[in-house]
Amino acid sequence: MIARNINQPLAVFLLLVLVTDVSAARIGEIIENDPWEQARRFFTFSDPGLRIGLSGALLFGATCGLLGSFIVVRKMALIGDAISHAVLPGVAMGFLWSMEKDPMAILAGATVAGLMGSLVVELIKRTTKIKQDAALGIVLASFFAVGLCMIRMIQNNDGASRITGLKSYLFGDVAVLDRQDVVTMTGVVTVTVMLVILLYRPLLIIGFDREFAHSIGLPVRLLDGLFQLFLTFAIVVALQAVGVVLVSALLITPAAAAYLLVNRMHHMLWVAAAIGMLSAVIGVFFSFLGSNLPTGPFMVLGASSVFLVAYLFAPRHGRVTRWFRHRSRRRDVSNENTLKSIYRIIEKGSADNDAGSVVKIESLAGERRVSKVDLFADLRRLRRVGAVEFVDQGGDVMLTEIGIQQARQVVRNHRLWELYLTNEADYASSHVHDDAEKIEHFLSEEKVAEIERQLDYPVVDPHGQPIPGRGEA
Amino acid sequence: MNFHRIFVEPWQSHAAHYWPVFAMALFVTVACALIGNYLVLRRISLIGDAISHSVLPGIAIAFMMTGSRSGAPMFVGALVAGVVATVIIEVLHSRSRLKQDAAIGITFSTFFAVGVILISIHGAHTDLDLDCVLFGKMDFLPGREPVFLGLPGVTVTMAALALCVGLLIIIFYKELLLSSFDPALAASMGINPRLVHYLLMAVLSVVVVGAFTSVGAILVIAMLILPAATSCMLSDRLWVMLILSVLHAFISSLGGVHIAVALQVPTAPASVVAGAGIFAIVWIVSPRQGLISLWLRNRRSDQVAEA
Amino acid sequence: MSNASGDEPALEVHDLTVSYLRRPVLYGVDFAVAQGSLVGIIGPNGAGKSTLIKSIMGLVPVSGGWARVFGGAVKEQITKVGYVPQRESVDWDFPVNVMDVVLMGCYGRIGLIRRTGGEERVRACAALEKVGMLAYADRQISNLSGGQQQRVFIARALAQESEIYLMDEPFAGVDAATEVALITLMKEMRDAGKTLIVVHHDLASAREYFDMLLLLNMRVVAFGETGEVFTGELLQQTYGGRLTVLSEIADKVAKGEG
Repeated sequence: MIARNINQPLAVFLLLVLVTDVSAARIGEIIENDPWEQARRFFTFSDPGLRIGLSGALLFGATCGLLGSFIVVRKMALIGDAISHAVLPGVAMGFLWSMEKDPMAILAGATVAGLMGSLVVELIKRTTKIKQDAALGIVLASFFAVGLCMIRMIQNNDGASRITGLKSYLFGDVAVLDRQDVVTMTGVVTVTVMLVILLYRPLLIIGFDREFAHSIGLPVRLLDGLFQLFLTFAIVVALQAVGVVLVSALLITPAAAAYLLVNRMHHMLWVAAAIGMLSAVIGVFFSFLGSNLPTGPFMVLGASSVFLVAYLFAPRHGRVTRWFRHRSRRRDVSNENTLKSIYRIIEKGSADNDAGSVVKIESLAGERRVSKVDLFADLRRLRRVGAVEFVDQGGDVMLTEIGIQQARQVVRNHRLWELYLTNEADYASSHVHDDAEKIEHFLSEEKVAEIERQLDYPVVDPHGQPIPGRGEA
Repeated sequence: MNFHRIFVEPWQSHAAHYWPVFAMALFVTVACALIGNYLVLRRISLIGDAISHSVLPGIAIAFMMTGSRSGAPMFVGALVAGVVATVIIEVLHSRSRLKQDAAIGITFSTFFAVGVILISIHGAHTDLDLDCVLFGKMDFLPGREPVFLGLPGVTVTMAALALCVGLLIIIFYKELLLSSFDPALAASMGINPRLVHYLLMAVLSVVVVGAFTSVGAILVIAMLILPAATSCMLSDRLWVMLILSVLHAFISSLGGVHIAVALQVPTAPASVVAGAGIFAIVWIVSPRQGLISLWLRNRRSDQVAEA
Repeated sequence: MSNASGDEPALEVHDLTVSYLRRPVLYGVDFAVAQGSLVGIIGPNGAGKSTLIKSIMGLVPVSGGWARVFGGAVKEQITKVGYVPQRESVDWDFPVNVMDVVLMGCYGRIGLIRRTGGEERVRACAALEKVGMLAYADRQISNLSGGQQQRVFIARALAQESEIYLMDEPFAGVDAATEVALITLMKEMRDAGKTLIVVHHDLASAREYFDMLLLLNMRVVAFGETGEVFTGELLQQTYGGRLTVLSEIADKVAKGEG
């Protein structure tokens, strides 16, 4: 069903790209403008070269996000890195073959080199004692070194005229993209999206449980090969704009951010694709601001910023979110403890604990064993929810009707749990208090009712203190 | 192209010129090879790659502040960046459900990107440029002022560093061996495995920073792993592996300089190509794990099965 | 031998030999399991229990022998065979929920490209119901306890609707309640005519769980009705030190050949 939705935008997109002016100035050639002027130009999309660059960025950003998701969940992140370095000799070969920047020749060369790289990793792992990490390192650096030597040899032979074209493959330059590149990209992206949609379930199952995938007769090897092939395509497509050195980051980082944000694989795919596109556009924007700035590093920083935001603020797993949740939990516990202390003072002082009993701050601080500052923080929060009222300019406090209800509940939980531990779990009655101090805040209504039923609706706890009834019923 | 022209002439005409280059390549590869054995044994090879990428912003910032490409500030900057990166990797993967590989990938690419941006903003006309990051600056050594045996100061420093690494490994041989093989046993015998790990990381950072100016950021990983990977196919004993990896380092730097001269390419990638060549040869012909012996054995066992 | 499928053994393993790095881990394993039996595979650590199951499934290469399911090669009968891997073999942080995992059990039948529909969903729900996990269908799998994870795996196997199941340590690290629930379920499945072959690590419970036992230690020590093979002598042979000679020879083969 998604297949239908995706083809239309792609077609419109392709049209948009094709109508842009071919002879337009390249982005990198605009040097004199100041950053503000450049930013204005960026957002009006008046520069045709920029339009091409942006379309390319959106396309490979989406591809990298999609394939990167599988890479991250399959713990193949560093394989992506190795393949992306391994394509370099292929790029050089493609360049030598056509003696110019022919995207098809370079695509073919890079793909072959990338696949050879992953094949050699596999072969090393299978035939020697060398483990995956070292095998990846060997392939990554050896292929890259061969590529560097070949590039230098090309430069030696051809002089400086063609160097710019090759150099962009190392650190990335969106400005060198031309219309033909974008057409190639569109093709690759379309096929990749189709692949992910059609083979989503088989790829998912291979990622989650490889042996099981084998056992139900899926062609695991074939699918793996296909995935590697498309991974290499995605890397090669992004190569010019991001560069060999950093392209793996565009695979890993957006997908890792999505991994922290959502819990289902198909959501992760689309979120990662969106983050990939966002990162790519951020990269184009910043490299557009200055002259001669490489695009790749800015895209990586864009992706890393999104990742950082996800890491800190993801709704469930974010560090900051979790810290806030933790703090509010701590405050609830502290509030409940204060309510409980007030209740117990009242309980000790008078037989009838009606809503009018007033408690001195000093005695409360003593009972609660905290400083007055902390105590006041609790009390202020409790007043805000209407559980306590200050009497006598804040020197004394009293519980409201709501406060009494809450306090009763906590004390009830505490004493019920103590009784439960002594009766049902054979704890000594002197050992149950500390445990009940913790559990009292986490017992749900149902649990309490269940315990009550099991203990046959008790009225006194192991220490002989009364267990307050639920409400006044 | 005959034998004489390819293999003899370069050494006759340029020997003196390339002596410092060869020496530098040798010291860098030896230092890396020694420490690399432990990375491969502990299966943390790619931490080396991560550190070598992550030191870039530190180096760039120190360079911008002082304007020179050698000396203490750059070293400190690099070390700080390297340590911060390792800590971030650790935090990312222990405090979220992210796995270690993704944490490594994200961290080092971010650091590296910052470094590349700093260098490009600073301009390509200075001593530190993107070529240096890729290829290293080994080939500019002959122009430097020689201080000892015709070697410039940086080379002498690297030699001292390689020697230090060698001495450390000799002194702490059994501690390193034990904590790499069986951290739990090591801990029970009073060797703190975490301490050993962080010390190893510190030495690794120092070596990587020392190698950076010579071989760049990306190729360091090859110098670290190739010798160890090659020697582990030839021997099961750690001390033999260490010696063999030094031998690998020697041959690959010699071959590297030779390839560099013959093909007019930078020495750093050429050395890696030479090292990879040795690895490939050993992989094919190694008596126990080589592809040929594997194939022979498979054929023999097939025959036995048929018989 | 008649051709009626009812007489065909559900699983027949003949002279199966598996080597790892040229070191034999399973020697000439021979056994045949009739339809509708609940078979336990027991043996010490490193006896090759998991390897046996994996080699039957074709997950590890065999160096000799064969395994047949209902008279045909496992590959051709793949929809009749359900495999339950060890719980630790997968990453439980994977971004899928319980329903997704159970639906994976239906993938084998619907082919590569077709998507799962309402029919598969119904089947998955029924499977979850049986293992008492229907209430957790929308749970992210990382929030499950060990016992719940195992229940989900069994539900996935149920959704496969296979005839014969090979289960690798389904009782490892699960709570007592889950263990009881699972063995009850397995007995129900057996009564419904399914064949179950279960790797098990606990000798004490093996006796009451299984109809038949396969005592394994690199080779088949004994195979038969639980009452017949669960004897002190045979167990001693399986777990005792007699096989050191065998593993010594295995070592020699590995080294001597090289």
